[in-house]
Amino acid sequence: MAAVIPSRLTALTRLRCSIFQTSYNPTSVRTGAKYLRARLRGPSMVKYYPAVINISQLARQYPSLELVNEDEEQRLQDIEDRKKRGKGAPKKAKTKGTFYNSLGSQLLSIILFLNS
Amino acid sequence: MPNIRVLRDIKARHGVRANEIARRAYLYVARNQSLPPQVRHQAQLQLNTFGRYTRPTTVKNRCSETGRGRGIMSEFALCRFQFRLKALKGELNGIQKASW
Repeated sequence: MAAVIPSRLTALTRLRCSIFQTSYNPTSVRTGAKYLRARLRGPSMVKYYPAVINISQLARQYPSLELVNEDEEQRLQDIEDRKKRGKGAPKKAKTKGTFYNSLGSQLLSIILFLNS
Repeated sequence: MPNIRVLRDIKARHGVRANEIARRAYLYVARNQSLPPQVRHQAQLQLNTFGRYTRPTTVKNRCSETGRGRGIMSEFALCRFQFRLKALKGELNGIQKASW
């Protein structure tokens, strides 16, 4: 078999690219085309979990239907029960860090006393 | 009611869908070696400004019943135990317990 001239081979590749509508890229430069070519994955990602009906939202939208969100009612009931047994969440603090504030003022008074 | 991890995953999925096209465009510019380096660098910096819930890698398939993150059969969106329970109840079409 006769040896093929390299220039003929490159011409063949270029012709092949024009026929099959692919981009001629003999040096394999990264063009980033694969990010444009790939299919979008978002639409199928969103469909993974089955749709859940939001009862509380429905009840807010249509107050005339008088829907009852049983899970929410149960949760509130449980909190009430826990409070009755003295196991509820503690009340929120009205002032932040009262302990350290008082400590600071005491230290200040001592320093003032020593200086005088 | 889905647990917080599932809700976060749903949020990530919606974020990915909303930002996918813009991210792809920036990726194309940043990875394109035929463009000037300054432009590519700018595109990469823009990519870094996208939030956590816009990257497709933050999305994880979780169990739709329990929210478990491991041992998931993605085809059914169920973890292995929920898959077994549902299969034995006959709620999964075409699935039956093997016996020979």
